[in-house]
Amino acid sequence: MTTTRTPPTPGASKRAPGRSPTSTRGGAARGRRGDGRFVAVCLLPALALFALFMIWPTVSVFRMSLYTWSGFSTQMRFVGLDNFSKLLDDEQFLRAFQNTVALLVVVTVVTMGMGLFLAAVMTRQKLRGHTFYRFVLYVPNVLSVVVIAAIFSAVYDQENGLLNGTLRLLSLDGLQQVWLGDQKLVLYSVATAMLWQSLGYYMVIYMSSMASIPEELYEASALDGASAARQFFAVTLPLIWQNLRTTLTFFILSAVNLSFVLVRAMTGGGPDGASEVLLSYMYKQAYTNSAYGYGMAIGVVIFAFSFLVSLLVSRATRREPLQF
Amino acid sequence: MLRRPIVLAVAAATALSLLAGCSGGNDDADGKKTLKIAAFEGGYGRDMYVQVVDAYKAKHPDVDVQLQLSKTLEDEISPNMKAGKFPDVVVLPQGRKAALAETLVKDKALEDLTGVLDMTVPGEQSTVRSKLADGIVGNLSTNPYNDDKTYLMPMYYAPTGLVYNKGLFAQKGWQVPTSWDDMFKLGDAAKAEGIALFTYPTAGYLDSFFFALLADVGGEQFYKEAMTYSEGVWKTAQARQVLDITAKLLTYAAKTTVGYANEQDFTKNQQSLLDNKTLFMPNGTWVVGEMKDAPRATGFEWAMAPLPAVTAGGKRYLTTIVESAWVPSGAQNKDAAKDFVAYLYSDEAAGIFAKANAIQPIKGIASTLPAEIAPFYQLYEDPSITALVGGFASTAPVEGVNIKGTLFDTANSIISGDKTVDQWQTALNDASEKLRQAGK
Repeated sequence: MTTTRTPPTPGASKRAPGRSPTSTRGGAARGRRGDGRFVAVCLLPALALFALFMIWPTVSVFRMSLYTWSGFSTQMRFVGLDNFSKLLDDEQFLRAFQNTVALLVVVTVVTMGMGLFLAAVMTRQKLRGHTFYRFVLYVPNVLSVVVIAAIFSAVYDQENGLLNGTLRLLSLDGLQQVWLGDQKLVLYSVATAMLWQSLGYYMVIYMSSMASIPEELYEASALDGASAARQFFAVTLPLIWQNLRTTLTFFILSAVNLSFVLVRAMTGGGPDGASEVLLSYMYKQAYTNSAYGYGMAIGVVIFAFSFLVSLLVSRATRREPLQF
Repeated sequence: MLRRPIVLAVAAATALSLLAGCSGGNDDADGKKTLKIAAFEGGYGRDMYVQVVDAYKAKHPDVDVQLQLSKTLEDEISPNMKAGKFPDVVVLPQGRKAALAETLVKDKALEDLTGVLDMTVPGEQSTVRSKLADGIVGNLSTNPYNDDKTYLMPMYYAPTGLVYNKGLFAQKGWQVPTSWDDMFKLGDAAKAEGIALFTYPTAGYLDSFFFALLADVGGEQFYKEAMTYSEGVWKTAQARQVLDITAKLLTYAAKTTVGYANEQDFTKNQQSLLDNKTLFMPNGTWVVGEMKDAPRATGFEWAMAPLPAVTAGGKRYLTTIVESAWVPSGAQNKDAAKDFVAYLYSDEAAGIFAKANAIQPIKGIASTLPAEIAPFYQLYEDPSITALVGGFASTAPVEGVNIKGTLFDTANSIISGDKTVDQWQTALNDASEKLRQAGK
């Protein structure tokens, strides 16, 4: 691994610390204090909005999870941690939790693997028409979830769907499935839609960071006799490591959020709860079942879970940043 | 030197305007009463509400009626309601996913509208009560606490039952079965011709099926016990019979049913009826409008039948869906709201609603029914058929328990073999018991 370590380029050392444009003016101390006040005033609207729409609701979620409340009335009953202990006995909640974790693992591994592979192929192999492929792969990312659900409804249709139709054409009738009706398959059908939706986005992120790796490193490793695969693992991967870590956090967020919107539009959590995920179950409990406090307790679990997983992933993947 | 104060002022103004944008208070300045009506824009369309509000405005120039119509009404009015800003009148079907009316019922946050029943309909001589069809108020769907106070005014009523294609039955020379034995015999005969006996759009549509079947099997008293979570009701022989009949019927279900039983694809299950691939599905009068542009087999003709009788010549029930109008306790103009609700039962309003196929439970309305839905309503004239109104009683919310989900959605698992009838019965008993304790 040390071979990839290069001395800092001369340009990097020029950015010396402590040289801000303001300090070139006279009366530095007075000016800086004035600037501070100005900056604070400028930030105030944004901070106020942030506090109002981000911090306050988050705190509210935690507070509400300790109450029994239907969502509308003025009667709120404090129940302590009751909502959380009920969660442990709730089979549907445990199922939704399992589904979320399964989606998190499957979608992360596959999207990341495919995204990295496609990005490496497109940046390193100079494919003809690679901008076209990039465009095609990125398009799903700008589509609304409702459109995606409609597309996949056409793909998964058990009678005239693209998937079963293709299988019939290839005389593989035995492989035809009821993609959204089979309780063992439905989660993977949703996972495929998630993958299709997000693959282009991650590929573009990886491509942009790969494009900034200096060509000399590849030339040097090629002279040392490294194959393309070896270059990928010894040069590319270590140098975009920080980027990978960031996208891992995105994966966790999207597994929680994107799965909710897709599940809601595609299956409604069915058949019989087989594709229920944490957020869709939270929605059902908080609104349909009028157990708002219980829903908020699920919200707290989601918050803690995504926070914890992000933290663990971030810790586990920590490496000393490599520079080029 | 002026620059800094100006900048400060601009920043402060920005901050204030952002906050002001959030408050958005809009009280009327000219002293007019503002009446906020929120109505669900469903299968009946939006025009009828616009016309009714216009007609009301013409009679009440001093009232500023604001009409909010939406297909996702709950999503739009709930945030304001949580912030304490309530519409004055809401017209919404019950049994929707967001369960807004049900939540407010559980919360005791609806205005008592018993008084409206004795109000004179604006511009007419008779009271609201005297215009309403007999027996339409005083059940669990209008008096949710099982007492003599009416909180939900019945707006439109529609029969739900087994929808089928009359043309196909005539063509094949089949009779609509009146007993379950005949039903299953028909299922075998149809299977031989590649036609499935039964399907459902989504499992949620089984509500009308189960409610009627519970009453068919055990009578109205048993139905009421099931709906009010009477102790051990799901362990009874009658409950087992209901589940057994259903499970047997589900073995005759079209094999595409479960795969299409979701929000995205449920019309494909409905389409299978239009294509003569399935004989029956539980549905309501709205399906006529919902599928009006869909292609269909030649000679297709909508018809509806009640469930077959459990015992020969036994009473058959037709689950009747009632949409309702209600006034939240938090409404600002309750008197104006009640006046408007009374107006909704005037001949003028009823005429506008009926043109859009929204039929109100008003005496004598049968003569004004549009031709395409008249046969559905004629079922009520059969002496062996009784209308069944209501649904599960409201209790305080119970965390993690949704008995409708347990009763209906499990059908998907019964068809696919992921659950057994025993598991179904046990789960229902557990859910019912928890709700019973919450309702005490």
